[in-house]
Amino acid sequence: MSNPAVEVQNAWKRYTGHVAVRDLSLTVPRGSVYGLLGPNGAGKTTTIRMLLNIIAPDEGAIRIFGEPNSKPGITDRIGYLPEERGLYRKMQVRRILRFLAQLKGMSRADADRRIDQWLERLGLRTKEKDWGEAKVDELSRGMQQKVQFISTLIHDPDLVILDEPFSGLDPINAQALKDIVVELRQRGKSVIFSTHLMDNAERLCDSVCIIARGEKVLDGAVAEVKARQGDRHVAVVLSNGTPAGVPTILRDPALVARWDDSNRMLEIELAPKASAQDLLTRLIEAGASIERFELVRPSLHRIFLDRVGATGVEEGMSGHG
Amino acid sequence: MDKLWVITAREYLERVRTKWFLFSTIFGPVFFAALMILPAIMARRTKASEEVSRIVVLDATGHQVGLRIADGLSVGMIGDTARTRVQELTPAQLAPAESVATREIVRGELTGYLVLDSAVLDGRRVRYAGRNASAEADMDLIRRVVRESVMQTRLEMAGVEPNRSASLVRTQLAFELERITDRGRGGSATVSVRFALVIVVTLYMALMLYGQAVLRGVMEEKQTRVAEVVVSSVEPWKLLGGKVIGVGAVGLTQFAVWISSAILLLRYRTAILEKFGASAMSFTPPDVTIGMGLVLLLFFVAGYVFYSALFAAVGAMVSSEQEAQQALMPIILLLVSSFVFFPPILSKPTSGLAHTLSWLPFSAPIVMPLRIAVIPVAGWEIAVALISVAAGSYIAVWIAARIYRTGMLMYGKRPTMREVARWLRTT
Repeated sequence: MSNPAVEVQNAWKRYTGHVAVRDLSLTVPRGSVYGLLGPNGAGKTTTIRMLLNIIAPDEGAIRIFGEPNSKPGITDRIGYLPEERGLYRKMQVRRILRFLAQLKGMSRADADRRIDQWLERLGLRTKEKDWGEAKVDELSRGMQQKVQFISTLIHDPDLVILDEPFSGLDPINAQALKDIVVELRQRGKSVIFSTHLMDNAERLCDSVCIIARGEKVLDGAVAEVKARQGDRHVAVVLSNGTPAGVPTILRDPALVARWDDSNRMLEIELAPKASAQDLLTRLIEAGASIERFELVRPSLHRIFLDRVGATGVEEGMSGHG
Repeated sequence: MDKLWVITAREYLERVRTKWFLFSTIFGPVFFAALMILPAIMARRTKASEEVSRIVVLDATGHQVGLRIADGLSVGMIGDTARTRVQELTPAQLAPAESVATREIVRGELTGYLVLDSAVLDGRRVRYAGRNASAEADMDLIRRVVRESVMQTRLEMAGVEPNRSASLVRTQLAFELERITDRGRGGSATVSVRFALVIVVTLYMALMLYGQAVLRGVMEEKQTRVAEVVVSSVEPWKLLGGKVIGVGAVGLTQFAVWISSAILLLRYRTAILEKFGASAMSFTPPDVTIGMGLVLLLFFVAGYVFYSALFAAVGAMVSSEQEAQQALMPIILLLVSSFVFFPPILSKPTSGLAHTLSWLPFSAPIVMPLRIAVIPVAGWEIAVALISVAAGSYIAVWIAARIYRTGMLMYGKRPTMREVARWLRTT
């Protein structure tokens, strides 16, 4: 039981012209929600496809629950929701779900029972209407997304991998998906999801791994990741605007590594050797009237921007929601 | 293994459930039946026009032969009794009645008139005058009906029971024709050519249609991105293999229905045609043994695997219908090239061209069955051709599996030949 849900060791994946994944190692603890964060094109989808043994890494080893992921039957324990989602358009919903469940090794009877439960739970099967009898292309987009959730979870997988799950979801389905993730976590299942939306990751993830340009930038438990950066960030609010001496202080590299002026609030990252005490003293000397001066833990968003930097984001943050 | 089965079952059942399948499977037998029944009915129809019964019979026999003729003309699908008028007359009244009838014909109220005088029952002479007097088919019918009616009346006058006389008169002989040529009885030669044509067209259509069905299936999975979910559960070759087997099984199901319905129709054709009031035409069924049927089946299966693998590879490479049409060209050319050589091979089935094409993997599935249908082919030649197609199929499947594995997850622009070559090299 002590094996982690996923263990990736020094995985590489090269394509002609570029390296999609570069020496990536990560560990997903069992029973946790794990976020794979990075801008578009960072190698998230390639990593996920390698986990699922859809593509093989050029080098490195991938283990799922302690077993090599190429072992027959191991992928039956995984539920996968790809970023680009689709279903057979002309096929009846119930048949398509049964088909995908049988591909995961379920018996027909078990599959049918669970299909009914899920259809009822997500409101696709009521007294008036059983959408399970309908063809996929008769369903609205939102309903199709629900069917895709069901297809991912129908075989009660121990590990659920969701690639950009929130992209294209309406608020209702996004909420439903979040509830599902939380419930899976409570039942001891492991969930990996990739996203470039830091807010979602911040709220849901126990652990994260940030990758950019195919490389791991940082990883670990969210609290730990934040703590590692935490005591270097100061939130400052001044009640008398910005006195003349303040910009000089901010530009002093011995004291301030980076700052972000959000008009009302300054978010300041201290220089490596500086202390918050020094900064406070200097600000008061410059005549600033302090309304708030607080050591804060940076948001994942902040950490992401700091660590990935403008270059890693260039093709990233403009991507679709 | 059982996941391959799950995929095969889905491919098969989803296709068999469609209306298109139902339609085309039923359409086959209906088409055969129409092919058999319509010409027979048409042949009957051309015998006489509907106008033929719109006549007046001037009957001076005194034995009601006229009524009998009117009955005879109204039988079957042509005309009704009411249209044929009978006038019972004395011989003296004939001449004026004729001129009245002539005026009616001129005015278009009648087609013609038939004159039955006392010479009729002596078996000597009948006269007909009318607009259709030169219409061969109409005259054939009137001639037959008059002859039968007169004969029946004469039989009864000679003391034969009315019931018996009717059955004696009505003799329908099927007149079977067979041509004798320099080579002897010529029938079987045309039959085997016709049979070869049916085989070649059927194989060509089947390879094209079911190959395209595989192509569309692959493209659908790629475009809807279902493939990604499926290959996260099974190896790509199983998805490919299940599709090829499933579609092939649909094809065999359809053939089984078509062939068995054709056999049944031919066996019971006389009874069926009689229901439609047409007589059976002579038909010599092609001389097909079980062994030959088995060989045909093997060639179809091997050829289908060869072509459907190539179609699947194209489907995995492209992202749109237009791209598919372009990329398909080489494959279609291979298929068409084995079809267009049909006439020269048929006229000279022992030529070098015929031999070569019946051994090459891409043309053997069509050309070898064609040769087998028209001339006896040595067993070893058939074996060589089959091995050649099987080897070709193996290579095609190998190529397709590799292209498939990579291509299914590649979206966007179509890969260049160089990229495809690289896909083939990676393991």
